[in-house]
Amino acid sequence: MNRWRRSVGELQARRQQVTECEQALAALSKVTACFQQMASSLGSNTDGSGLREELADIRAMAHRIYTGLHKRLITLLTEMEQRQEDREQVERLWVLFLSSLETFQKDLQKTSSLQELFPLTQRRDRSTLIKTGYSGGSEVAARAATVQTPWVSGEEERCPDLQKQISRMDSLLQEMLQTVNVPVWTVEATQEAWLEVGKEEHHDDETLEDLMQVEVISQDSTTTGCCHHLNCRLGCLLCLVN
Amino acid sequence: MTIRNVHDCGQRHRPRVACLKKVEALVLEMQDPTSGVKSQTQRLVITTIPHALTGEDVVAWIAKRFNVDAAEGCAIGTMMVAFGYIYPLRDHKRLILKSDASLYRFQTPYFWPAQQWPVEDTDYAIYLAKRNIRKNGVLELHEQEQYNNLHKWLNHKWDFIVMQAKEQYRAGKERKKPDRVVFDCQERAYWVVHRPPPGSVSAMDLGLLRLIDPNQEESETSDYFRRIIIFTEQCIMRPRVKSSVSLGANPWLTDDPAYWDLNSLTIDNPTRMRVERWTFSFGELLSDPRGRDGFRLFLKKEFSSENLAFWEACEAVKWGTASTIHEKAQQIYKTFLARGAPRWINIDGKTMEVTVRGLKHPHRYVLDAAQTHIYMLMKKDKYGRYLKSPVYMDYQRRATDPEAHNFTETQLAQNAKNRRPSLSPIILRQQEEEQQAKLEASGPVDLTQVMSKLDKRNMLKEGQK
Repeated sequence: MNRWRRSVGELQARRQQVTECEQALAALSKVTACFQQMASSLGSNTDGSGLREELADIRAMAHRIYTGLHKRLITLLTEMEQRQEDREQVERLWVLFLSSLETFQKDLQKTSSLQELFPLTQRRDRSTLIKTGYSGGSEVAARAATVQTPWVSGEEERCPDLQKQISRMDSLLQEMLQTVNVPVWTVEATQEAWLEVGKEEHHDDETLEDLMQVEVISQDSTTTGCCHHLNCRLGCLLCLVN
Repeated sequence: MTIRNVHDCGQRHRPRVACLKKVEALVLEMQDPTSGVKSQTQRLVITTIPHALTGEDVVAWIAKRFNVDAAEGCAIGTMMVAFGYIYPLRDHKRLILKSDASLYRFQTPYFWPAQQWPVEDTDYAIYLAKRNIRKNGVLELHEQEQYNNLHKWLNHKWDFIVMQAKEQYRAGKERKKPDRVVFDCQERAYWVVHRPPPGSVSAMDLGLLRLIDPNQEESETSDYFRRIIIFTEQCIMRPRVKSSVSLGANPWLTDDPAYWDLNSLTIDNPTRMRVERWTFSFGELLSDPRGRDGFRLFLKKEFSSENLAFWEACEAVKWGTASTIHEKAQQIYKTFLARGAPRWINIDGKTMEVTVRGLKHPHRYVLDAAQTHIYMLMKKDKYGRYLKSPVYMDYQRRATDPEAHNFTETQLAQNAKNRRPSLSPIILRQQEEEQQAKLEASGPVDLTQVMSKLDKRNMLKEGQK
């Protein structure tokens, strides 16, 4: 009787842990996506100490999430008593977590070399920043700041600086590949191809071509299209040369 | 976990970092507020975006910086666009620098090409999924194929890819509209450089896979010298006559398929060079299918086309599949060799005996002796007469002389857009078979057939009498 009650309790705890891990994976995905969006402004005219601090904050948040997730997934995978569906789900989470870490590590490496290429220590360094047409803003950083870890934080270590984080991630990935024996190819996608087409809600989403429509300034435009292209609906370009 | 392909095209021996680093230094110089390239504002319907450059400004700056003329400056600028350091705002798929008022913009350093960050398929998959998520987003044909491919090979991380694509899309939406436009343009330009549409020349094409290290010193053994000697002997052996005859527009350079159309198998008026080639030797005439057609026409007029038909049937036996040899050989015997056959060929008794004996156990080369006999017959007798015949004279008269191309830039661009794949070989084979069937269905072409028809008519007449 006691044994039965204990195993039900264990099952519930385990299921809760698995859902926690899924939420953590979603949170990690969100954070890494925000990191990537912001890293694309590195070296551009909007680059500055503010941007780099925001990037460091997001990095720290990601560090918290993935160290916690790593610990929990390891314990889930190494527990002895597992049932079949549970095991598959946890393995799937493991493989997705691995891919997530690899992509994030690549972003971190890119960030590190870009920060070396464009050191902003002196005033005249700002003159070499690439004029990309960005106008900057911290909307993405604000989005990243809304992410929370699904568990109560407190027991993690502080986030190391960029280089150390990259090398620690290296060793983490190596360790992950060696400790647990999860064949990567057994995991299958849960959704079919092309299922994500047009799924997000968008009120005013146009194609890039629509957004790039040039404003026609001159009223007496002699050419109504660029004339060389078949699908051209764009206005006259001559107005820009004035 | 991600399996890293070692197909780096020999980059581990001779990496291109130096080339890219030089272009990067140039781009950094261009940013200088006083001595750099002038930047303008791009006016769009929804907003204005700064930092646009005109092609002519870029060319002028490069020409001044390196002290070269404008054409060279344009070439250097095109190289920068091809590598992806500058991207065009219009006509984004053609990575060239036009030295007019067309607009360009600098690519953000995150999307610069770099040796140490190889372009990953995972990122491409995320990009395609993002394009899918966007409403009105339709992928092009080659992108759809890539997407299906990636879905198959990256299936184990597909959930991660879709999740990341959704999150990146939502994060991107948070930005202000002009920034979103800029980022989307940048990403699109990045992938045009690194996953170019098929048929375009890519600057990131690193060439063939090199298996040996070209920097390594090769030890001078006797084998090394032997290979050099063989190579130079072959070089000397090759004919070095270069003709200045015009062959027409090179289709690989001008995208004009006229050259291939003129030299196709079913053309009515072959080019002059092709017609002259038939006079070189009988083998040349037979190896060109169009030449064979002309020869067949000539023989039909002389009612002796069974020779050519026999020769072609023997070729079919020699080159066909082993399973069909037996039935083909039987068919040939019935049609050409047997006594009283409908298309009886005239070979001497000894060859006939050898062939008939061999046909009891047919193999691929059983008809070789007879085929050689007929070949020599045609060569000694019919070939000479063919070259003097009105059929051949007609070909010579009608032969075309293709001219070199004089397409303008815009016409070349139009040609590039009108590129279409050629006919499928299945369709071509069907056309060939239809033609053959038509040939066989046409009237008597051999003397025996004519004689047999005349005989039949005589017999009928005698019967009536």
